[in-house]
Amino acid sequence: MTLTFKTCAAALAASVSLGSIAAAQDVPAPYQPYAGTTLVVNFPAHPHYNAAMKVLPEFTEQTGIEVEVDQLQYLKMRERQTLELTKDEGDYDLISYVVFSKADYVFADQLENLARYFMNPKLADPNYDAADLIDGYVQNIGVAGGQKGYLPGPTGSLYGIPFGSETSVLGYRTDIFEKHGLEVPETYDALLELACQIPELEPGMGGLASRAASGHQASHAFLLHLNPLGGGIFDDAWEPIVNNEAGVEAANALKSIVDCGIEGSQTFGPSEAAAAFAQGDYAMFLDSIAFAATFEDETNSQVVGNVGWALHPEGVKRASQTGGFGIAIPKNAQNKEAAFLLMQWLTSKEADLMIAMEGGNPSRFSTYENAELNAKYPYAATFGEALQYADPDWRPIIPTWGKINADLGTTLSQIITEDLDVQEGLDGVAERSRAIMDEAGYYTWN
Amino acid sequence: MKTALANRMTPYLFLAPAGIVLVAALLYPIGYMIYASFLDWNPSQRIGEADWVGLRNYVNLLGDAAFRESFGVTIKFAAIVVTLEMVLGVGLALLLDRNLRGMSILRTLFILPMMIAPIVVGLMWRYMYHPTVGIFNRTLENIGLSSVPWLSDGGWAFTSIIIADVWQWTPFIFILSLAALQSLPQSAIEASRIDGASPWQTILYVKLPLMMPVLIVTALLRLIDAFKVLEVILVLTNGGPGLSTEILSLRIARTASEFRELGVAAAMSNFLLILLLVLTVAMYLYGKAAELRAARLRAAAEEAA
Repeated sequence: MTLTFKTCAAALAASVSLGSIAAAQDVPAPYQPYAGTTLVVNFPAHPHYNAAMKVLPEFTEQTGIEVEVDQLQYLKMRERQTLELTKDEGDYDLISYVVFSKADYVFADQLENLARYFMNPKLADPNYDAADLIDGYVQNIGVAGGQKGYLPGPTGSLYGIPFGSETSVLGYRTDIFEKHGLEVPETYDALLELACQIPELEPGMGGLASRAASGHQASHAFLLHLNPLGGGIFDDAWEPIVNNEAGVEAANALKSIVDCGIEGSQTFGPSEAAAAFAQGDYAMFLDSIAFAATFEDETNSQVVGNVGWALHPEGVKRASQTGGFGIAIPKNAQNKEAAFLLMQWLTSKEADLMIAMEGGNPSRFSTYENAELNAKYPYAATFGEALQYADPDWRPIIPTWGKINADLGTTLSQIITEDLDVQEGLDGVAERSRAIMDEAGYYTWN
Repeated sequence: MKTALANRMTPYLFLAPAGIVLVAALLYPIGYMIYASFLDWNPSQRIGEADWVGLRNYVNLLGDAAFRESFGVTIKFAAIVVTLEMVLGVGLALLLDRNLRGMSILRTLFILPMMIAPIVVGLMWRYMYHPTVGIFNRTLENIGLSSVPWLSDGGWAFTSIIIADVWQWTPFIFILSLAALQSLPQSAIEASRIDGASPWQTILYVKLPLMMPVLIVTALLRLIDAFKVLEVILVLTNGGPGLSTEILSLRIARTASEFRELGVAAAMSNFLLILLLVLTVAMYLYGKAAELRAARLRAAAEEAA
């Protein structure tokens, strides 16, 4: 199911083909040495990047730098990059990476440290205003080398910039909630009760649309509940605590949400869950902000105008997801300076707003505060608020996570579909995770 | 002297291109895989940077419950699909081995499923198995039965992938069996008829034994293929729910891309290779034994005469 298509975004800009060289004088000075360069970038098939591609022609027009986009389904994109980054000369000048790839790429020394670009007066835009970038995202997606290795801290440094980052929010059907006089759940208890109450009130309708498919998706859904309920995968000494009380509670929450869903919800990925909500099969949807714009798109959604948004409900604390994508320059890229200029431009105030207006996820606080954006997407204010609670330590971003994630996800699927005992299942995950961590040397200093 | 040497070397000279191709195209990749299976190698490293870990990957795999389960699923899957496909395929061939009007069109229709790209087969079946809009559940509900969790329950998901595989690959057995049937010596069949054999007896004692060499090779080919099937299951269930449909080739793919352990993936591939080799050798030995037995019987019969 690879969504591979090469789009020469530059070709879309009518003005470029003939005008780029002639117009070199019109190009602002910082971009002039690079006018006429063609950058190859690797983006995922994702609503934010679809929006970004609509804005790319504007970049070409302003700078004379052409951009060729290779767009792939995001897990396939990661596979492709793994191979690309080990080559001597890479094909990609700029890559988008899933947040958990940060660990692998930085650990293998495959991404450019961005300090030397921000230090270069010829490249760095003095009006960039880095303080306006959403801090939780920058820490989670861009910084590595601080606390626990993957978190920010005094020893951390910047490898990427958030672009298409996301947090989790609760979407709900205003019409259904009004019809039955329901209150939007603020806490986990209320959420879980409501999730199973809705199928009784509206026969045939599921409570809360959630991912649950075996593997990564089930694990992701579990993490959505684990963090607010006060749990975690590891403690500060890397000992697995996924099987503690909070872990069991989170797994039970996931199971009860799936049990109160529609038929076949045990195999949902994020797109299936979103599609089911858009078709009106569910009363609530708890996942990334990235899907919000699609619910208001009349070609695919039957719930246009009936979706309200609220913060991710609170357990023992508020802790919504940090995830999504960032952009970085590979060590083996061939046009690093021009790639930095594109990266800086894409995450600038101007472009961030343009992309957000096309339905992308803002990377900047100022964009969320923009009146024009709030008028077009009324939920922007709620999303901006949700970001305050985004938890940078939402999942361990370490090289062994891929394996632990898959094991956790298959075990959860067994809990959901095969009635495996929750405690027993999670105990198994903890035991196997400890072995994986031990082998990777996380207990060397103990 | 020189001519003699040249004469002796000639055959090798002619064989050399084939030998070189064989070494480059077959032995090198296999050797590479065997070498990789002794490494702790993640895809962000070059192979030269990977650490040598000896037999650790193999030992770990033997102790890995998920791998053992996946191995079990693979063997169960292969055994069931090959048996079903053999029975159905040979049955169909026996049924259609006659001069029917439009037979060539029918035959083409029968082999259509195996001409479709596996990804498409997976997608097609996925939509047919869809819990609410899929044709199966809609039909079941229309005739008043309760719907079936085709892909969302472990047992059913396993059944569902078997159904899809049988649908796709029965035609393969069918066309090979049909070809075998049509090339059987008519004299033997005629002789059996003159001796008064019923159609069933003809099939059981004449046709099937004569087809046996072809059937064994066909079954072997299918078996090897069944152990390696990936795309259809990848699209249908991606191994889930739980590990219920995670066959070995899927686990190998996930180990390489998701877990990023190329060495372990190579070790798994070697286990699969060993399993297939054992099967192939067993089949070969069986064929040899059957041949020897037939020769002995023939010799005994000749002596008696």
